[in-house]
This record gives sequence, C-alpha cells and structure tokens, in this order.
Amino acid sequence: MKLIRATVFAVVSLTAYGQTPAPAKTEKGSTLPRSFDGKPDLTGIWQAFGVALFGETGELRPGQGTRSSWGPPVGPAPYRTELEGKVAELASDNRRDPNVRCKMAGVPRITGSVVPLEIIQTPKKVAILYESGHAFRSIPVDGKPHPSDLDPSYMGHSTGRWEGDTFVVDVVGFNNITWLPGAGHFHSEALHVVERYTLQPDSTIYYEATMEDPVVFTKPWAYRLILRHPPRDERIMESDCTENNQDLEHIVPSR
Amino acid sequence: MKRLSVTLTLVCLLSIPVLAHHSFAAEYDGKKPVSISGVVTKIEWTNPHVYLTVDSSNESGRVTTMVVEGHPPNILRRTGWTRDILKINDAVSITGWASKDGSNRMAGREVTFPDGKKLFLGPPAE
Repeated sequence: MKLIRATVFAVVSLTAYGQTPAPAKTEKGSTLPRSFDGKPDLTGIWQAFGVALFGETGELRPGQGTRSSWGPPVGPAPYRTELEGKVAELASDNRRDPNVRCKMAGVPRITGSVVPLEIIQTPKKVAILYESGHAFRSIPVDGKPHPSDLDPSYMGHSTGRWEGDTFVVDVVGFNNITWLPGAGHFHSEALHVVERYTLQPDSTIYYEATMEDPVVFTKPWAYRLILRHPPRDERIMESDCTENNQDLEHIVPSR
Repeated sequence: MKRLSVTLTLVCLLSIPVLAHHSFAAEYDGKKPVSISGVVTKIEWTNPHVYLTVDSSNESGRVTTMVVEGHPPNILRRTGWTRDILKINDAVSITGWASKDGSNRMAGREVTFPDGKKLFLGPPAE
C-alpha cells in the first residue's frame, strides 16, 4: 500500500504540480486518507467489488455471503409502461447491447465494468480514466454550469463539487446509444446522472448514481456499487475491444 | 476487516450486474458442460476475448478443432496468465460449456497446462 500511495503521489506530482506534494493530512477524528487540500483522496485504481478477485481464490460461489445494505440496484428500473416491451425486446438479443458492439459504456454503466478505472484528483479537476473502452472523463471542480452547446456524447459532460466528504458529479449531454446498468436499459438524450463518490475508512468507495430521464422513466432510479482497490497489478491497461470481436456472429437471441 | 471485505465481495458478486463484453447465456449453454483434451494450434491473445484453438482427436484418430473463448488479456494477466504461458503444440485439457449456435466453439472455464497447473480461462456459467 505504501508503494501504491507513493505511486499515486508521483502521478499527481508529475501531472498536476511538478513538485513534491505535501504528505496527506488526516483530520482529527477521521481515518480517511486526505489530499493536501483536505478533501478525501480518491486518487488511485478502483474496481467494482466482486470483479477483481477472478481466479484469486478460486472465485466466489453462489450461496455465499449475505445481503448488504449497499450494493444492489435500488429497485427495478422505473420504465414507462409503454416502453417495457422495448426493454424486453432489447434484452432478448444481446447483439443489441452497445457494449457487445464495443461502444463506450456511458455513465454509470461503465463504473461496473469488469476492468478497473483510475481516478486522478486535483483541487480544480478530477480525471477518471477507464480501462473499458479507452473512455475518460475530465471533470472540472470550479462551480461553473454545464456548457449550453453540448453535442450528445457517450460519456456526457461532467461537473464536480464536494458536498462534505462526498464528491458529487453532475452529468448531462448524453447520446441515446449507451445503456444504463441492466440488459435492455436504453435511455434518451434527456438523461441526467448525479454520481456520489464517498470514500470509506476501509479504503473503499461507496458509489451511487441517480439517473433521471423523464422520457423513459416515471421517477429517478439509483444504482450502487462498492469500488475497491484491485488486489494486485495496480495499473490500468489498454483494451481495444474492436481488435478481434467475434461475438456478434455467434450470439443467439433468446426470443 | 479482511473478512468483511471478502463478505462484501461475495455479496456484490451475487447482486451486481457486472459489465462484461457480452452475456454468457447469449452465446453459451451453461447446461452443456464440455471437456476437451488436445493440442493448441492457435493462440489469439486479443480483445475482447482470448481464443485458443485446440485440435483434439478421438480413439479412431478423428480430429476435432475447437475454438475456446476466454477472458480478455487484461483479466487473464491479473489472474496469473502471461502472453506466452501457452505455446503452439502444448497439450492441454480444458473444461467449459458448449456454444448455442452449434459451431465448434466453447466457453473455456479452466485450462490444465502440460505441467498439471490449472488456471481459470473464463467466467463461470450463468
């Protein structure tokens, strides 16, 4: 962990400041690792819980563990009744999944990828680099609103702010190509996502994304994950999904 | 804390729809387990999946060529594989599940190497 921390500081130093950073402060009564500006330090490699342990311990079997108050999606996606048929139709044919077609996964679906992401935190900007799909987000933390001239995009436009010890990201400007978490969960360009990253004393992040889309949903829907540091190999790697994608011609629709 | 972490990991594995490249059930039949033994004739260390092509022969000498799908290289690297851990003409045994489209393809779960070492190649069946 010391090595990781040192590496993280080295990255921040090289990319943002060009000088030796101050050691992390720990506020009285809090065990959270903090950046030199006093904010919880999210910098590092993270991955959705339950993903990084493939092969590590022979993998985890169904029937083990108990339900957690954090983790599962908060209820079913609240699609408008007239759209439920379309969701079912999309879900029945995996070839329709934009991820199978090597598209960037969008927010918040990409956070639950089987491969990790890297957060690089500075006071004025937070970058998230995703191994999945070569996606990245450069999130200003400057109090400015979203631009008014956004073209729709896979990853949307993000603005960040701190609410106490939680990093809150507001995301708009999506295209309607990506899916939300779950099979067939399409959305419109009106999608508005609010993400909350809350660092925990056990070095995990409680991640929550609230999705609003009045075109397809009857009410907001939340998605939760626990992010943790992968057990080893603390770096993100290249992953070009288009390299040898043989799946499209072999997927069999379920309907 | 370690025990708590493991417990939470278990919980989330059960409850989170993890974003893999495709749904297992869209391409493979988890009710049709397959075991093959043969010789590696081709190794595609590629994204979004690694593919091993294996020629296996039965008692009468008839050769069947099977294409075995696995995790992407990045996941295999994190679970003990390297790009050159397998070589052409290596004799291996592989367990997994049959394809749904009737082709000679399978989802690979575990590979037994020439020295007896075993490593997971792909995810469990859904």
